[in-house]
Amino acid sequence: MSFLQLIFAEIKAVLADKTIVLTVFGGVLFYSILYPLPYLNEVPTKQQVVVIDHDHSSLSRKLIRDANASPKIEVVAQLGSIDEAKRWIETGRAHGLLVIPANFRRDLLLGRGVTLSYGGDASYFLIYSAIVEGLVSAGLDVSKDVQRMGLLDKGENAASVKQSLNVVKLNSIPAFNPSLGYTPYVVPGLFLLILHQTLLIGTGILGASQWKKQGYWRQVSPIKLICGRMAAFMLIYALLSSYYVGYCYYWYDVSLQASLGQVGLLMLPFLLATSAAGIAFSSLFSRRDLPTQVLLLVSMPILFVSGFVWPIALIPDGVIAVSQVVPAVPAIMAMLELNQMGASWQSIMPQWLQLWAMVAVYFGLAYWGVSKRLKPTA
Amino acid sequence: MIKALKREFTALQDDPWQLALISYIPLLCIIALWLLFSAGLPRQLPVAVVDLDNSQVSRALARQLQANPVTKPISYTGLPSAVDAMKQGEVYALLVLPYGLNRDLLTAKTPIIDIRYNSQFLLVGKLLSSQLQLSMADGLKPLGKMKLLAAGVPIERVAVNLSPVSSQTTALFNSNTNYVGFLVPPVLIALLQLVAMMVFANSLNRELRWNTTEQWYALGLWKVIAAKVLFYTPLVLLHGGFMLALIYLYLELPIAGSIAVLLIAQTLMFLAVWLMVLTIFFALKDSARVISFCTAMFAPAFAFMGVTFPVHEMPVLAQWWRVIMPTSHYIETHIAVVSYGQGLLASLSQMASYWGFLLLLFPIAILAKKGFPVTEEPELDTLAKEQ
Repeated sequence: MSFLQLIFAEIKAVLADKTIVLTVFGGVLFYSILYPLPYLNEVPTKQQVVVIDHDHSSLSRKLIRDANASPKIEVVAQLGSIDEAKRWIETGRAHGLLVIPANFRRDLLLGRGVTLSYGGDASYFLIYSAIVEGLVSAGLDVSKDVQRMGLLDKGENAASVKQSLNVVKLNSIPAFNPSLGYTPYVVPGLFLLILHQTLLIGTGILGASQWKKQGYWRQVSPIKLICGRMAAFMLIYALLSSYYVGYCYYWYDVSLQASLGQVGLLMLPFLLATSAAGIAFSSLFSRRDLPTQVLLLVSMPILFVSGFVWPIALIPDGVIAVSQVVPAVPAIMAMLELNQMGASWQSIMPQWLQLWAMVAVYFGLAYWGVSKRLKPTA
Repeated sequence: MIKALKREFTALQDDPWQLALISYIPLLCIIALWLLFSAGLPRQLPVAVVDLDNSQVSRALARQLQANPVTKPISYTGLPSAVDAMKQGEVYALLVLPYGLNRDLLTAKTPIIDIRYNSQFLLVGKLLSSQLQLSMADGLKPLGKMKLLAAGVPIERVAVNLSPVSSQTTALFNSNTNYVGFLVPPVLIALLQLVAMMVFANSLNRELRWNTTEQWYALGLWKVIAAKVLFYTPLVLLHGGFMLALIYLYLELPIAGSIAVLLIAQTLMFLAVWLMVLTIFFALKDSARVISFCTAMFAPAFAFMGVTFPVHEMPVLAQWWRVIMPTSHYIETHIAVVSYGQGLLASLSQMASYWGFLLLLFPIAILAKKGFPVTEEPELDTLAKEQ
């Protein structure tokens, strides 16, 4: 059997197996739509807030209007007591509350300090931070207004009032994901993980279903079989990766900083290491339904340890060290640095070399596992 | 019935993977996921500081970051090296104290302090943006105070003049905004649903693998299903209980309601999962395909729970998909019980939202009646052939 014939036989075996087709092609297509689906509206807006206004003055009404004008907040009701507000939050009709104290306006005009109380349901973090940001900025606006009136009253001119209100300008700007969108945040890392997991499952099922049977895989040497299998899966995954890293990144507005050549050069050892790992992994199984289950269980830990959802600085060192044997972990970070954050090729060299080292190690393990499985005496 | 239960028990003993799946594997996964988030509160996140002014004021501002527990300032001498560190994810934010900061402050010009935060890491980026602004505002207060005093404002009025409106922010129901309390329960619940799905799917698939479907029909289809439910529900519930005990008893995260209510809610969640798995099983009737299909259905459940991203901001299609995930029904009860102390009665009426899953009984009955075509080579045959 020539090498080309082997690759052809491999691809045929993949396409003939309904389960692999369902996982690899079906899964990749299905997930490209399903995973980003909840986040399509990107930024949380208009969180429902209730107000308890003990002051009922022109200034408290202005504060409520300011809060309502913030894109992050929608004032849904004015209630009489904090207990009532709590009931609204518990039943999900509101997620935050603002308490304006009695004599709010009078105290401010008399030059006494007042305290506004904000509360947000911290069971939901994104909602909580949106509410706090919206309410704090409304409070600051009113505070500035009062200061301005006070200073103007004292006879200062408008220009110097502006100066003394803003001693320093803080210019806080997001880098790399300028829209602060949720899909550009989640998609790049997650999609590499999906490619990683489906490739491992695909090679896993193919191996698990072959070991106990007779077929072309027994007619070639283990090395040739592994090379042929890697080549076949590389062809399939070149196609699927182009769809993910090319079309889907573009479609979901992920920022793209690297050139096509650089991305391709990074994907090469990633896919090679993953397919070699998949073949090595497949030699552990003889039941077709097991590879999917094992990989499903480790998906969530891999996602969280790869460092873009939850900061690596906060993960225990031991966990990080263990995670370095998973090809997706260095690949996701390298891709984010290279393509989303615009780092130079030199700076991802360590991860790139790590991936090539994985290619070598997993190839060795695959050889060991496959030759054990295909021993004629077994 | 007892015969059917015994049958499940012997089957379990012959299946090492299933045994692992109902014993140590979920425990390892639960502990691994908890370890990942065990830091709970983001602390000491590296921030690059580029001090181009090198004055007393700029150094005081940089020191302000050291005092903030969330930020760990790292000094860079030049902007390019700081930008590189940011691009490589070594620091999550960048603060530039401009040249002439001190002079501009003294000469009443408005200098600009630049903050860049990494929003590719959205969670960390947003947190750092607000913390850096807070630190800078705090650091600048003494300057404002000096200015006011110089302008002749009496000292007791200075604080009020600086910020007439102070604010008190309260995080309701998760008072120290701990990420363990916020992220870990939904992550573990998603994991629990996966384990439950696999355990039940494996117990059904075994009938295919060991070619015992005829025996199954002989014993009575619904009887065997009932036995599987009776057998596996308590086992999976043990893991659910372990998870709750870990979070709310061992780690002592606050819980306002009762764990018993949560266990009842979990039982219903598992029953809904069983119904879905049964439907998929009878529709596909192939062990590997059943697992693949169930995986595709249940794997993204976490995103649809609405904890990380608010439900009412999701597109309609996502909200529909959310309804077919048992975990999204459960998480509502979970949060209500844990945060708001919702009682049993209110929780029970909330649990009524599962009724739609009962409709799956019709397709299950119809598909089950069709019986099994012999498609898969049963494991026993293969073993026999090999010997």
